[in-house]
Amino acid sequence: MSTPTNFDIGIIGSGVVGTRVAAQLHTLGYRPRIAPLRHATDLFDCNVVVLAQGAPHSALAATFVAQGIAVVSVSDNLADVLALLDIQDRALARQVPVIIGAACSPGMTGLLVHHVTRAFESIDEVHVAVHGTGGPQCARQHHESLAGVSIGWHEGEWLQRPAGSGRELCWFPDPVGARDCYRYASPEPVLLQRIAPSLQRITARVSATRRDRLTARLPMLSPPHAEGTLGGLRVEVRGVRNGMRHVEIVGIAERVATITGSVAAQAACALGNGVVPPGVHNLGQAEVPNDDILDGVLDSGTILHQFIGR
Amino acid sequence: MKFIRQVLLAISIGGIVATVLRTRGKSPEAPSQGGWREVTPQR
Repeated sequence: MSTPTNFDIGIIGSGVVGTRVAAQLHTLGYRPRIAPLRHATDLFDCNVVVLAQGAPHSALAATFVAQGIAVVSVSDNLADVLALLDIQDRALARQVPVIIGAACSPGMTGLLVHHVTRAFESIDEVHVAVHGTGGPQCARQHHESLAGVSIGWHEGEWLQRPAGSGRELCWFPDPVGARDCYRYASPEPVLLQRIAPSLQRITARVSATRRDRLTARLPMLSPPHAEGTLGGLRVEVRGVRNGMRHVEIVGIAERVATITGSVAAQAACALGNGVVPPGVHNLGQAEVPNDDILDGVLDSGTILHQFIGR
Repeated sequence: MKFIRQVLLAISIGGIVATVLRTRGKSPEAPSQGGWREVTPQR
């Protein structure tokens, strides 16, 4: 293993995701410092900070950007991600790079779309589905996202649909298998549209049970588990290859927090190494070293699957 | 009393219809060919 470049990485949040990010960074040879949200100012001397606590992240990210500190956010909250995109002007003014949506979905999905795109002459549809949750904050986000409004990109227009609608049976790699998935309030379409503006259709779905959908508009009836069980991710890309319609489907079966930890840690390393230009970016965009980050995630033990057949 | 009978009748009919749909409806078909295989991205 090569010796890491000398830069300090801080992590806000010591939950399931925060500890996975730290463990991944330790594996890579870094010694990250972890601070709770109320002591975020302790990390003002870091070069890179990973925001691994529950949403919202936008205000804290703006604070770190104002201090000239690069930021990685794992937030998958739609409103929060839209607010993070608004930091662009401040990040450019301070010459600071920011990577948002560095989680499983969004995050790993952007890396996979970028990876799969090379199999096409052009792509026009991306359909993403995710199963499972990371820590308790992720479970709360899952609960709330089924009660809001989902957005989707359809023929060049943003469509709003009730979250929890649009059931579709999605097949994830074994042992997750088939799960009923529904629209949800996800920033995924917004971020994927930034990766490939030529896309005509983008949808994002999440697996849910009948109880999830029935109780989505109520407070959580029972406290979430400490960590979700095995999760899954599925990315379906459609486009043109050799002049004909073509579909590629890739997926992952892994704990969501583990995927998020690997992605966020690799994104933090990319920021620390100075290979990302100033501004707000999401994974999959051309300005980000997507191949290096994906290689790093897969080297950490995550196994990528491809669906063969019809 | 008439209202209660109507409610019970409506619930019964709804239950029968749901039972018929459940037992006779088609469940989604599993993929008949293919499956997942591990891939190693080109470096």
